[in-house]
Amino acid sequence: MTGATLRRRVSRLAMPGITAIGVKELRGRMRGKRAFVSVTVYTLIVAGFAWMVGRILVESAQNQFQFDPTYQAASIGRGIFMALMILQTLMILVLAPASTAGTISSEREKQTLDLLAVTPISSVAIVVGKLLSALTWVFVLILASIPVTALVFVYGGVAPDDVIRGYVMLFVTAIAFGAIGTFFSSLLRRSGAATGMTFVAVLIATVGLSFIWVFMRATTDSFFARRPPEALFYLNPFVGQVDVACGTEGGTGSWCQIIDEITGTSLANFGGGGDGRVIINEGGVIPPDAVPAGPVGRFGDVVAVNDPFAGERDRYWPRSALTLMLLAVGFTAAAVQLVTPTRRWRPRLPGIPRRRRPGRSTE
Amino acid sequence: MTAIVRADGLVKRYDRTLAIAGVDLDVAEGEIFGLVGPNGAGKTTTLRILATLLEPTAGDAEIAGWSVRRNPNEVRRVLGFMPDVFGVYDDMRVWEYLDFFARCYGLPAATRKRIIGDLLELVDLADKRNAYVQGLSRGMQQRLCLAHALVHDPKVLLLDEPASGLDPRARVELRELLRELRTLGKTIVISSHILPELEELCTSVAIVDRGRVLAHGRIADIEQRLRVGAVLRARVLADGEALEAARDWFAGQPDVAASAILPDGTVELGFRGDEAGAAALLRAAIAADIPIATFSRAASDLEELFLQVTGQDEPVPAPEAAA
Repeated sequence: MTGATLRRRVSRLAMPGITAIGVKELRGRMRGKRAFVSVTVYTLIVAGFAWMVGRILVESAQNQFQFDPTYQAASIGRGIFMALMILQTLMILVLAPASTAGTISSEREKQTLDLLAVTPISSVAIVVGKLLSALTWVFVLILASIPVTALVFVYGGVAPDDVIRGYVMLFVTAIAFGAIGTFFSSLLRRSGAATGMTFVAVLIATVGLSFIWVFMRATTDSFFARRPPEALFYLNPFVGQVDVACGTEGGTGSWCQIIDEITGTSLANFGGGGDGRVIINEGGVIPPDAVPAGPVGRFGDVVAVNDPFAGERDRYWPRSALTLMLLAVGFTAAAVQLVTPTRRWRPRLPGIPRRRRPGRSTE
Repeated sequence: MTAIVRADGLVKRYDRTLAIAGVDLDVAEGEIFGLVGPNGAGKTTTLRILATLLEPTAGDAEIAGWSVRRNPNEVRRVLGFMPDVFGVYDDMRVWEYLDFFARCYGLPAATRKRIIGDLLELVDLADKRNAYVQGLSRGMQQRLCLAHALVHDPKVLLLDEPASGLDPRARVELRELLRELRTLGKTIVISSHILPELEELCTSVAIVDRGRVLAHGRIADIEQRLRVGAVLRARVLADGEALEAARDWFAGQPDVAASAILPDGTVELGFRGDEAGAAALLRAAIAADIPIATFSRAASDLEELFLQVTGQDEPVPAPEAAA
């Protein structure tokens, strides 16, 4: 099979199937008040939380007089941003698996999967279509929160590309943990069991592996021994968000110290954002010659610097995001295999004859 | 006539149990073919293999010339399947349900619209177009499920116990619907353990028990082959000893395997002869001065046939062997 025919075959079978499943699922999910109410509630929670965190930070900032108020504004902005990302990560870790963990098992429970399996749409289309339409709902929630998050620009301290990084991480989190839900949904026949197992898997990926890292770090000689692999944190999207937060600190804040500890690098402490910019803040070391002329010095401003350590930003979260995406692909592929009614684990390769001729082999 | 559904030595084994042990089928185009057997005989397994939902452990089957093993996708395009137990999606309207399956077959929007209208007319659900699927009665859901199996205009319909759980009226409606589909040129394979249901409908049957086809062909042919004949009922205008004498007289006649008196006074005969034999029997009875009011074949041929066939350990011999 050439690439072109493969592509044609995929587009012929997978795309209409994904569309069919998507249309059907979204019709069900978005019908009536449900979608409207859930988006409203989600946005209200996010906005309410942001407001409360903002209040807390403002109150505590008022008790400190040693800093410039504009610097304090940037600090508050960063605080709100980080709080929002952590909250949303938490909510996505619940919502994404919950919305996918029932997709395929409920078809089995309601005995509708057979009806689907005898149509020409492929198992890939069934699984991907269901995953995507379940995630669409989560994506809508994430997107609905962007205006709330954008309010941190009022305070400063966070650049637009930091917000993009944070949201990329959120979307990746939704896809990866949604795929885990889909996998258990196709593995287990009961939706309840699938949901339960999915959340066990979520806990292992986030808390469990991280705790193993902590355990290994604590029980090995910390100075000479190699530190535990940072990969143990790759499935923990909170740590990815911490690295995003570190990006807003210009490499020297408390969030960065966590990433330094995990990755074993502390070069970023020398200051500077990875993309050659720095946000003026508490610890950001700006070379004197890098300070542009004009009315700068307003804390929270983004100024261009000639940073010798460019590239030290984003030292952790892209790897975590990539791992989560690979995880998503793996779990989706496994789910496809589990949904396929026949020929499990036997991908057909073109040109290789089957070992056994069908028929007349019993005599 | 060419076979449009053909099974060739289908075997399905689950761990230790053999669900079907070499099923051969041969269904000609345009037939309504009945798969008869007790529960657990392997009917559903056979149909699920034909529907590409199960892979046979051995053997192969062809639908319209496509192998269920090698070309499952082509098979799915010529096949409509209605499982014995099926669910419906919540939160879906009747037209959306059909629209969804029409999309699964990649039908363009204009065709979908037309076909949904036609199918809803066919299964008599046109006025339920915007109703929610889960709110339909069982019979309506059954008809909707049948309609969904028809969206892509398949040549072959596989219906697993389509009448189970239906009230008598819904059964009659379903039967009419299947007849109508046959006139539209569909080949229908239908399984059931309720025999009278199939008897009126099917052009030929396969009797399945314990994973094997015990008899296969037209009902009349199988009957002939077995020489089961039929159950004859003679209403004798007598009671007491005279009735018993009549029974004994019948029991002594050639080709009568058994005779018994039913509670209503009818003498029931297990008769191995053909129609001419039955005529001769009646003539002899009249000549013997037995007062016969009515003399007829009992209606449940297939049921008798079925008991006869499944009571045997060996498959029924093929016609040439039996001759």
